Amino acid sequence: MNNALIQAKNITKIYNKGASAEVKAVYDVSLDIIKGEFVAIMGASGSGKSTLMNILGCLDRPTSGVMVLDDTEVSRLGDEELARVRNKKLGFVFQMFNLLSRTNALENVELPLIYSDRSNITRLARQALETVGLKDRISHYPGELSGGEQQRVAIARALVNDPEIIFADEPTGNLDTRSSYEIMSLFQRLNKQGRTIVVVTHETNIAEHTERIIRIADGRLIEDKRNPHPKSAGEELKNIPSEEGDNENK
Amino acid sequence: MKTSRLIGVAFKQLGKNKLRSFLMMIGIVIGIIALTLVVSAGLGAQKRIMERVGKFGLDSLMVFSGGGREMGRPTGEQPVANLKTDDAEALKQEIKGIEELAPFNRKSQNEIIFQDRSTVATIFGVTPSWAPVWDWDAREGDFISEEDIDRLARVAVVGETVRQELFGNLNPIGEFIRVGNIQFEVKGIMQIKGTSPGGGDMDNRVYIPLTTFMRRVANVDYLAGIKVRLESHKDMDKVAQEIQSLMRERHRIAAGMPDDFTVRTPDEVKEMAESVAGTFNILLIIIAGVSLIAGGVVVSNIMLISVSERRKEIGLRKAVGAQRKHILFQFLLESTAVTLTGGALGIVLGVLGTRIMVLLTDMPTSISWEIVAVGAFCSCLVGMIAGLQPARRASALQPTEALRS
Repeated sequence: MNNALIQAKNITKIYNKGASAEVKAVYDVSLDIIKGEFVAIMGASGSGKSTLMNILGCLDRPTSGVMVLDDTEVSRLGDEELARVRNKKLGFVFQMFNLLSRTNALENVELPLIYSDRSNITRLARQALETVGLKDRISHYPGELSGGEQQRVAIARALVNDPEIIFADEPTGNLDTRSSYEIMSLFQRLNKQGRTIVVVTHETNIAEHTERIIRIADGRLIEDKRNPHPKSAGEELKNIPSEEGDNENK
Repeated sequence: MKTSRLIGVAFKQLGKNKLRSFLMMIGIVIGIIALTLVVSAGLGAQKRIMERVGKFGLDSLMVFSGGGREMGRPTGEQPVANLKTDDAEALKQEIKGIEELAPFNRKSQNEIIFQDRSTVATIFGVTPSWAPVWDWDAREGDFISEEDIDRLARVAVVGETVRQELFGNLNPIGEFIRVGNIQFEVKGIMQIKGTSPGGGDMDNRVYIPLTTFMRRVANVDYLAGIKVRLESHKDMDKVAQEIQSLMRERHRIAAGMPDDFTVRTPDEVKEMAESVAGTFNILLIIIAGVSLIAGGVVVSNIMLISVSERRKEIGLRKAVGAQRKHILFQFLLESTAVTLTGGALGIVLGVLGTRIMVLLTDMPTSISWEIVAVGAFCSCLVGMIAGLQPARRASALQPTEALRS
């Protein structure tokens, strides 16, 4: 398992440690994520899947356990170093899109690059928007875009720094069925191009688009299985009648 | 490269919330307007003082008749009559560093009559040395001459105010004016001098020969004062001391007894005028400072509210890799940009206000780069201080915490 991008060993996250209201959000979870994988982390709400994703995504540190990302033991890094790791190696997509309002698509996508050492940030942001099929929406504001389009802007933002892994926390949670499949289709395409993607979801039909499904319940890992025949979101899209106003590109 | 991007972020954020930025700015604008007005008035007052002191001459000192225990200018009627013409001559002969001196006496509130017109002015008895010592000569006709002194001539040189009051468009030279029951032939008109350091009109005067004044007008044998012009301003303190000891000797004042004369240097005059203006300025600066502090509190408050409003934005920035210092910098820059912009606006409005103030009142003002510097510095400082706590709070937010909706 030397080509593992992420090696998580005995990860435990406890909130209010020592207090009577102690909460074990994640308990003794070990898993590896290999470069190029498309993984779903599944679980009911409150199961600890988001907490686990936050730890895998270096947004949070485990209470105990070791977390290695790309040969770096990130569980020992400080806030500033973690920020640098996120900036360089990780991309995030959130359920609520989390785009900056009154900021156009291009500037939203540029955001991670502002904190990087890269130059030509506008050109890179343009390319990322092109990749997600929003070339003609570059100067639109979030309020002028549909939910699916906003999430694609968010994916472009996650892509723009050319990360090792993209983490998506319930990326389809706020979208209709058609937009959800569009997003999953986009993820599948990106994965085919070699991107490592981790999607957190509670919906089985979303998880079924991935190659590997990890189930979490009460903070524990209860199942980790291959999905040898992932559904193709692109095929499914063909069976859904196109709604008016929905764009057909992609 | 990165820094300029961060600056761009701060300004964009401000532009996105114009109302909030405007509200933050307004307190600073008012504070800086107040400060600008105060500073320009303060500098103006100082400039006026310097001008007036300059009129007196920085290389000159005054010897007045009478002890100097009370502050303020001695009046024309001296309570102590002990400064004599001999004293003036002794000073000139015995003290080195004196270029020239001008003994004089004066009498205020004299009715001056020309034909059917009259005015009230101060009469000065002077010698020809008055002109070089005060750097103040007749602009038309002639000043008092040695010959006038010797023969106790009944001639007069009038100041501009007196000329206007009595003669209007008429050429006064050769005309006769009457003081009491003595007729004087007008032989000259003085150069215009304006207001004295004490605020009196230095052009409302009539100059006559000192000898004529002492014998025929006032019937006295003493002087009101002697203006002494030094060869160099550097010797001021030394010469002042020498004058003092010579005068004490001549007036036979025992050690430990107070002087019966006063030596006043321009530094003292300046100090007096400045201390009056200074007290006033300190008061005004405090008022301006208080309004700036109030403006800063407003900025700080709105920034704090904005931090909790923008938890998501901050969390997102951190999630995509913003470090503490980036967030700190952005928020500090936002508050500083607001106050600096407010400051610039305040300076512009303050300068406009100063101009209006000049039009409406006679207040002396002075607009200079110092105002811009003080305004910019203060607004920058207020912005940094006001933004510090909100910025620290923002930068301390955890990315996960802030993303939670």
